[in-house]
Amino acid sequence: MQIPDQELSVAGVGIATAPATPTRRRRARAGVVLGWVRDRLATTPGRLILISALVVVGAVCFGVIATGAEQSRERAVRAARTETEPLLVHALTLYKALQEANATVATGLLGAGGLESRYSQAQYTKDIQRATSALTALTQGAVTPAAQAALGTIAADLPTYTGYVEDARANSRQSFPIGAAYLRQATVVNTSMVHAAGRVYAAEAERLNNDYQTGTDTAALVALVAAIAAALVLLALAQLYVTRVSHRILNVLMLVATVLLVVVSVWALVGVSSEQDSLAGAQRNGSDSLEALSAANVLLSRAQGDLSLTLVNRGTDKTGPLDFGAATGVLTTSPIAAALRSRFVAYRAAADRIQQLESQGELVIAIRQLPGVATLSNRLSDQLGREITAADGRFKHSASDAASALSGLGLAIPLFTVLVAVLALLGLRQRINEYR
Amino acid sequence: MSRPVRHLIGVALIAAVLAGCGTTSDHALNMAMRALLTPTPTPKPTPQVKCTHPPANLTASLRPPAAMPAPGHMPSRTFMSTIQHRHYLRAGVNASTLRFGSLYPATGNIDGFEIDLVRQLAHAIFGDWNPDRVHLVALTVGQREEAVTSGLVDVVVDVTTITCVRKQQVDFSTVYYQANQRLLVPSNSPATDITSLSHQRVCATANTPPIDVMKKNYPQVIPYGAPQAIDCLVLMQEGKIPAISTDDAILLGFHLQDPNTKIIGGSLAPAPYGMEISQKYPEFVSFVNGVLAKLRADGTWQALFNKWLAGLPDANPVLPPPQYVR
Repeated sequence: MQIPDQELSVAGVGIATAPATPTRRRRARAGVVLGWVRDRLATTPGRLILISALVVVGAVCFGVIATGAEQSRERAVRAARTETEPLLVHALTLYKALQEANATVATGLLGAGGLESRYSQAQYTKDIQRATSALTALTQGAVTPAAQAALGTIAADLPTYTGYVEDARANSRQSFPIGAAYLRQATVVNTSMVHAAGRVYAAEAERLNNDYQTGTDTAALVALVAAIAAALVLLALAQLYVTRVSHRILNVLMLVATVLLVVVSVWALVGVSSEQDSLAGAQRNGSDSLEALSAANVLLSRAQGDLSLTLVNRGTDKTGPLDFGAATGVLTTSPIAAALRSRFVAYRAAADRIQQLESQGELVIAIRQLPGVATLSNRLSDQLGREITAADGRFKHSASDAASALSGLGLAIPLFTVLVAVLALLGLRQRINEYR
Repeated sequence: MSRPVRHLIGVALIAAVLAGCGTTSDHALNMAMRALLTPTPTPKPTPQVKCTHPPANLTASLRPPAAMPAPGHMPSRTFMSTIQHRHYLRAGVNASTLRFGSLYPATGNIDGFEIDLVRQLAHAIFGDWNPDRVHLVALTVGQREEAVTSGLVDVVVDVTTITCVRKQQVDFSTVYYQANQRLLVPSNSPATDITSLSHQRVCATANTPPIDVMKKNYPQVIPYGAPQAIDCLVLMQEGKIPAISTDDAILLGFHLQDPNTKIIGGSLAPAPYGMEISQKYPEFVSFVNGVLAKLRADGTWQALFNKWLAGLPDANPVLPPPQYVR
């Protein structure tokens, strides 16, 4: 868009033209763009051209920053929804299923007549199946080396564990004390697997936490606000200048561009903010509860396992009672225990009674009372399970709210940006053409 | 300028309000992690005691009273009368040694040769056979002496070999069963006695006399200490150790659980079993010795042996004569 200098002076809009001296031109050879800009600055249509260029650059910057902010949020929400939260649930399932399998077997082997009930056998099988399917899902999805290594440990230990359990069952069926020894071996392997599952859980929980942080990062919002403000100011200043040079109050195309910019800005702000709100809600009401409830459930089955193991070992186990104390101690101080109130208090009282009977050597009476305590523990576990499902539901609901808050924005921001730039350019073009 | 300024203020306000309300925290994560990683406490190890005053006669115990009190009429101010007034006898026993003391899941009861001895003792105190007269406490090897000294139980009848170290902490009755330390190997093992197990690992309960005997008298084998004797059988079934060495009374129970094993060789060391009683109650020690002497004299001991151990080639039917200190 080259406009000769002579024509500009004819227009006479009261802006002095700087003479183009030979020295300046020589210097401009080093910076052609700088010279071109200086030339344009000299005249009104030149300035309008510069403003057009600025508007295009500004619109592109706005588009890039706003899309970037939106995309980083969208990626985080998608990862949390479809990847990290489901994996965290799998990690918790793995942890819980492994722990429960051992508690189930230990309790079951103390069953009436040394015979495991069919319920207990089915429960153990279900626990192992849940553990293996969670293990499969995690092996496909886990990315951190720590989680991969821990999953490898579990995959290697699981057959050893189930082998020991079958040895324990076969021997216990014949009333052989070696059954308890095999169960003790199984417990050693189980403990190592549960610790590995804890490491997987830690890795997955950290990934979900990172997604939450990215998904609610205020830097994205600040960048968006700054981009919007800069674009609006630029557009407003351009219109102000155009109004001044053309003595016309309205430039319809530029006004439409401004309105479109405001529309997409408000949309983006509302979208990103409500996404942030929903995602924070997904954590607060969903996955936070899920984590706390699962931790309580895991501790509960650990305590129940300790209780049964102490009795299976017929007074020969010193770690069981100590670990029972540690697990129930943490459980009692957790907010979950307060929420479960009466049921937990009933369980704790019954379990403590068994502990006391065992420590006084009343093994036979303690074993007779165990099924009652196991029932209490199962009921508590079922209740926790229902609340965990509900918390997972709340997470999924809020996370899908977060995703739908952003839906369409990914396309709308670039589209509107192009529209704004084109309209503004056309608006400016009308004025530039008035100087021809 | 008014429009952009208004925009700016509006946008800034919206941003400030919305950014504030949608924050996340890792509080729950940290809490759950702490809960899940609650460590398992480790039990305190039992301190090692050394034999400082070896007695002249290890198995000698207090002589029974000249006249045994009639059952149900324990002399006042004796530990027996304390037990009688409590209405039950507390006995520390083993719950995992077949035929001596083991829990039978089918009945839910602990039964065996030693449990019947405890019942005889209760009968001598109370004069009746009410099963509620006996409270059985299952104990580990490491818990036995403390259970007696702390008063948790009145007596321990738990396949306990009389040793100098234990005798420093508790009193022992006269011998009620004469066990011997021997060897258990898989039935296809070529080993015939301990000399054929040179440079091989031989398993026994850690910190028990069988380990000490091997260290002292049979340096050609490598003693391997397991947490419990039965863990040795697990290790042997897994093919991790070639032999177990402990009391034949325990080994015969192992053979009953795994017929693909055999007890080989002669006695590596005698393992006389005695009942542990607190040193605070010498009158109870003499009383128990009186009861044992009566069981021996009236054929009850033999009847109980026949009930639980007859037909087992590795059970010792010979009870040496009682030894008394004075």
